[in-house]
Amino acid sequence: MTKNKRSINMTLKRLLKWYLPTIVLICGIMLVYCWYLSIQIDKRFSGRRWSIPSKVYSDTTILYPGQKTNRTLFNEKLRRLGYREVAHKPVNKGELNRSASFVQLYLHDFIVPSRYKEGIPVQIIFDENRIGSITNLNTGQLLPILELEPEEVMLFFGSNRERRQLISIDQVSQHLIYAVLAAEDCRFYTHKGLDPKGILRAIYTNLRHASIRQGGSTITQQLAKNYFLTPKRTFIRKLKELFMSLTIEVRYEKNEILEIYLNEIYLGQKASEAINGIGEASFFYFGRPVSNLSLVEAATLAGLIRGPNHYSPYIDKDRCQKRRNMVLNAMYEQGWISDEELKMALPLPVEAVGYASYGKKAPYFMDYLSEQLTVLYPPQDLSSLGLSIYTTLDTQVQMAAENALKRGLDSLEKSNPELHRTDPQKQLQGAVIVMQPKTGYVLAMVGGRNYSASQFNRITQARRQPGSAFKPFVYLTGLDKFTPASILSNESRIYEIDGKEWMPQNYAPMTEERVRMRDALARSINLATVDLAMQVGLDQIISTVGKFGFSTPLKPYPSIALGSFEVIPLELARAYCPFAADGVLSYPLALKEVLDENDVVMERRHMSIKQVTTPEKAFIMSSLLKSVVENGTATSLKEMGIAFPVAGKTGTTSDYRDAWFVGYTPDILALIWVGFDDGASIYASGSKAALPIWAGLMNALPQYVSEGWFRMPSGVAKRVVCSESGQLAVEDRCPHPLEEYFLANHVPTDHCRIHGDGESFGRIIDGIKDFFNKH
Amino acid sequence: MGLKIFLISIKMVIVTCIFGFGMVLSGCAPAVMRPSPEVYRETPRESDEFEKNAEKPGFSPRALAALQLTEQGRIFLENNQPDDAIGILERALNLNPNNGRNYYYLAEAWLMKWNIGLATEFNRLAEIYLNDDSEWLSRVILQRERIKERDQ
Repeated sequence: MTKNKRSINMTLKRLLKWYLPTIVLICGIMLVYCWYLSIQIDKRFSGRRWSIPSKVYSDTTILYPGQKTNRTLFNEKLRRLGYREVAHKPVNKGELNRSASFVQLYLHDFIVPSRYKEGIPVQIIFDENRIGSITNLNTGQLLPILELEPEEVMLFFGSNRERRQLISIDQVSQHLIYAVLAAEDCRFYTHKGLDPKGILRAIYTNLRHASIRQGGSTITQQLAKNYFLTPKRTFIRKLKELFMSLTIEVRYEKNEILEIYLNEIYLGQKASEAINGIGEASFFYFGRPVSNLSLVEAATLAGLIRGPNHYSPYIDKDRCQKRRNMVLNAMYEQGWISDEELKMALPLPVEAVGYASYGKKAPYFMDYLSEQLTVLYPPQDLSSLGLSIYTTLDTQVQMAAENALKRGLDSLEKSNPELHRTDPQKQLQGAVIVMQPKTGYVLAMVGGRNYSASQFNRITQARRQPGSAFKPFVYLTGLDKFTPASILSNESRIYEIDGKEWMPQNYAPMTEERVRMRDALARSINLATVDLAMQVGLDQIISTVGKFGFSTPLKPYPSIALGSFEVIPLELARAYCPFAADGVLSYPLALKEVLDENDVVMERRHMSIKQVTTPEKAFIMSSLLKSVVENGTATSLKEMGIAFPVAGKTGTTSDYRDAWFVGYTPDILALIWVGFDDGASIYASGSKAALPIWAGLMNALPQYVSEGWFRMPSGVAKRVVCSESGQLAVEDRCPHPLEEYFLANHVPTDHCRIHGDGESFGRIIDGIKDFFNKH
Repeated sequence: MGLKIFLISIKMVIVTCIFGFGMVLSGCAPAVMRPSPEVYRETPRESDEFEKNAEKPGFSPRALAALQLTEQGRIFLENNQPDDAIGILERALNLNPNNGRNYYYLAEAWLMKWNIGLATEFNRLAEIYLNDDSEWLSRVILQRERIKERDQ
């Protein structure tokens, strides 16, 4: 007995000596580990919890009664904005009811800098291709203007390609919270991170079915696993998960844990993009914010957590419904929904809003924008800070430009099989840029035919000879000495450049030896243009052109008059803007605003302008360039359905390497270029290759055409002149009198000496003039 | 003792004067330039212009819609939000480049932002488009004078 007692005492002593310190040591290590974990958790939770990709948006769309519309592009736009068709009058935001003569829309809410627009139901009635009226369906009030929200165009993803919209727990409806708890962890608010009951029940269920049917992980454990650990199923990982859950529970409130969990969970896939968090999923599956989800929608989302792609309504609606009903039953069992609610919800079908997965939209525009953004923000910020980036892009114009270019190039290849090349890298190329000349807003940019085959942006990166599209700058310089009625020589001459002879030639043989300046530009006559350039001085031309923002070098050679120096297409388009903007050059504007995730403005850009020529000269240039369309090389625009006034200039370079057309109205300017990257001939002029693309583009954009023309500035005078002499016409004597515009200081004072009865008549007129001048 | 009190009093007066002068100076240098409220009280509301012009046969729907944006821009200016005003006035300009009032308000916004160069440029454009409206032209001329004053 004593021996036994001694033996027990020895054992106890041994225990105390060895095991107790071991246990204390283990406990200490565990505490230190938990302390270490808590530091790790705090570090992650107190900083930026998630990388949210920055979103790039188009500009808002303005609609107003009387506006012409392209219904196809408009309907596409509504679809891209996520409006879903219903067969009744819209009652929820994002619903759309359409007929041949009207569209009823329940607008989404949206925020743009300093403006929050709450969605209202509206009806847009169409009168053929025009908007007849816009009515607020809530009040019956007619609206003079309506603004549609900006369209999401691109996301700056990090390596994970995760979409996520953060929500706060206050935004989440009680139904959704109960649904998530019922589906994942119904004792969440009572346990301390671990749920022994849940674990036992899971073991029992899994043993009974001899398979893994139920998991015992609590929401906190899932959060620890998803947020901090790898998905590997190892004992060590499970142990870590356990410690982390306990630590999270000690350090954070239950609602805080639930909020992080709801923002963290993976809930499906949109093409290559992962849908994460309940906020994003709510829009992805039901097209509405999380606060507006119904009971069945909440239960559907909660059901997805277990297997987002397995139970996805986009993959198997029946399976999704079964899972949803399981969640609903679990909610009922917990007493979180009533008997009636359950009975009403169970038979309802699963209805997801649907989604369209688009390829990269406006890719060349986005590259152009990215270049500007990366100067402001490093790439990791763009892929993590959740910035909202607003641009000048108009997706309807972009689509029209892409379609017009595609159709134009296809048609060229069809008409001339020699242009067809099978290698996509060597294909016939084209480029389009559309701008608003007054403000420099870039509405659309197509830098090539196929972005996936070639990312080279021919609008911003290419350097090509502009050919005759450069001539307007020669004529603008000429306005200092000449008038549109001045007569230029069209005779062939030899010029010397760097010791070599250069003899320019006209595009087609001409018999006229003298031409009016207006005709010379309208018909793109080379000899007359070189004559003008030599008379005004090449240095003078370079000095004028220098103000128009060309960055490429220009040399004072006579061939400059015919556009022999390379330009960047974007700069050429920009250089035409002052003609349409009272002589004011605007900087091309693509980026408007950058907002942080709290909608605080971080960057804002406005139109930037400077005067490069006078409004009077700009007006006369527009008038001269209008003649190109009315009587010159671009007259075929009329046959292509362009019935409104347009100013523009075609361009063709040697051996038909480049074809250009730059055309504008007071509202819009578009440049088209067609050619091969390797400089091969396209066997077509600007009027054959580029002009039809311009016409196709403008015909698709009736909303941008006001059909108006420029107002004549007070410093411009209109006179009737003789077409042959360019002097004031003598009534009933000059056979072809014409109305012509003049700068106020260049108004002709002499009467026609050709038809004015020779020298004697001229002398009489001059005598009368002298008499009045003296008195 | 008396001399000590006298010296302390002198010091206090000097400190008070310096402090007061500083306060006055800081009051003279506003962070954001505020235009005189008369500028906006004098200019008519664009919504009135809208009602006035809605019935006119030659007034295009586009121009009418642009007036709505011009009015929004004017209100932003009234609320001393030049950046927001510029954003909306640029849209108005794109819709109707012939409305000289857009240029006038843009000049006003840039003046608020102390950008004399752009204010001058838009004032010049306003004059081009408003030169046949004597009432507005006088506003444009007054604006030009204000720009010149601020430039000095």
